[in-house]
Amino acid sequence: MAETDARAAAGTPVIAIEGLTKSFGANQVLKGVDLSVGKGEVVAIIGPSGSGKTTLLRCINFLEEYDGGSIRIDGTEVGYRDGAGGRKRRGDRELAAIRVDAAMVFQQFNLFPHLTAAENIMLGLMKSRGRSKAEARAIAEKWLARVGLAAKVDALPSQMSGGQQQRVGIARAVAMEPKVLLLDEITSALDPELVGEVLAVVQELASEGRTMILVTHEMAFAQEVADRVVFTDQGRIVIDAPPAKVFGEQPHERLRSFLSRFAGFRPDPA
Amino acid sequence: MATLIQTLPFLVDGLLTTLLVSACVIALSLIVGLPLGCVLAFGPLWARAPIRLYADFVRGVPILVLLYFVYYGLPAIKLNLPSLLAAIVALTAFKSAQIIEITRGSFQSIPTGQTEAAKAIGLTLFDRFTHVLAPQAVRRFLPPFVNSVVDTVKGSSLVSLLGIVDLMLSLQQVIGRTHVALPLYLIGALMYFAINFPLSALSRRLEKRFV
Repeated sequence: MAETDARAAAGTPVIAIEGLTKSFGANQVLKGVDLSVGKGEVVAIIGPSGSGKTTLLRCINFLEEYDGGSIRIDGTEVGYRDGAGGRKRRGDRELAAIRVDAAMVFQQFNLFPHLTAAENIMLGLMKSRGRSKAEARAIAEKWLARVGLAAKVDALPSQMSGGQQQRVGIARAVAMEPKVLLLDEITSALDPELVGEVLAVVQELASEGRTMILVTHEMAFAQEVADRVVFTDQGRIVIDAPPAKVFGEQPHERLRSFLSRFAGFRPDPA
Repeated sequence: MATLIQTLPFLVDGLLTTLLVSACVIALSLIVGLPLGCVLAFGPLWARAPIRLYADFVRGVPILVLLYFVYYGLPAIKLNLPSLLAAIVALTAFKSAQIIEITRGSFQSIPTGQTEAAKAIGLTLFDRFTHVLAPQAVRRFLPPFVNSVVDTVKGSSLVSLLGIVDLMLSLQQVIGRTHVALPLYLIGALMYFAINFPLSALSRRLEKRFV
């Protein structure tokens, strides 16, 4: 108890991950991951495919059930609670209440195709945040305007470009005012000319002090927007440092071979 | 011509029986098939296994065998159903298996990303089902369902084999008395077509709109 109090006084991290393990069958994809993210921090996770970065992100809102270790959002264990005879998986309602604090934006947008842009955003506000329809509508319109889609309020996802859909996806997540925003390779499914408009929105959100964890292949963007860059390889965090250091003169050997695959990217040590 | 017009009321009676049987079968199959289809899509294995078995078995048996089984077979275990009821029971057994499959497919063809996105904004199971999955499943369900209704109307002609005077049997009886086969079969065919064509057209429109 005393320890918890001491940590609270020192400023509990928004996200505290300790010793996280996760296996798919015999394949252990997370082999003991520790990561702590403070309020307002932007953390970019990079690494080769299969290194566990997306799984790590998905564990944070329990879309993947982790096997061992712990993930706490503002001190609350995400997927399990302690009960008689060890920890128990949380029920659906408890999980829903926790997940809303770690809203996620997906690679494939995953907008609800039968709902308009505004309705996509309103659904969570009304059902999870207890907003009235009118309040939810006002918030949805505000956020759509902020991501540059004021004209698309009543458009269906099928009537929007990929970049527009992803901006709605971001608005849907951030409108929930989550404690942490999780972005999972959100530009990977976009045509190259649409990447910029989505990254601009993320950059703006980062600049206003929102806590974010993003998995990305956009190295230049990670370098620019992140406070910390985390490099994962083979289920472990190999490097966790500010971008200047990670992309600095003498990168870690495995990171160097990883970065060498990004032809256009020149690390900028400044 | 006068003979044909005289037979019309009789044919219309048959048509009404066809419609009655079809409507009962569709309604009952929805009541049975929708919940079981949902269980097949979301339920635990112990609940899915018997439904799976039932759906596969019934769909693998000719409808005529089901009809004869219920009407001529069940009396052996002291279950004597009047012909109309037996027909409805047998056709419902078959149709509900189809509805189960259509329902399951409607839910399972929704990308998992939809459920994940709904979870990620904090929706509970109930809200995920009613606001995200069900509305999308309905759109997937309708076109094959309407086709299935068409099949029901056509397939209901089998009940004539149990002596139920539906459109099919009333046609045969009229032909038996008047010996005018071709025009009467034509009239009968047109009556079936008049019911089913609008349904097929509806199904095509639904497909265009939703798929």
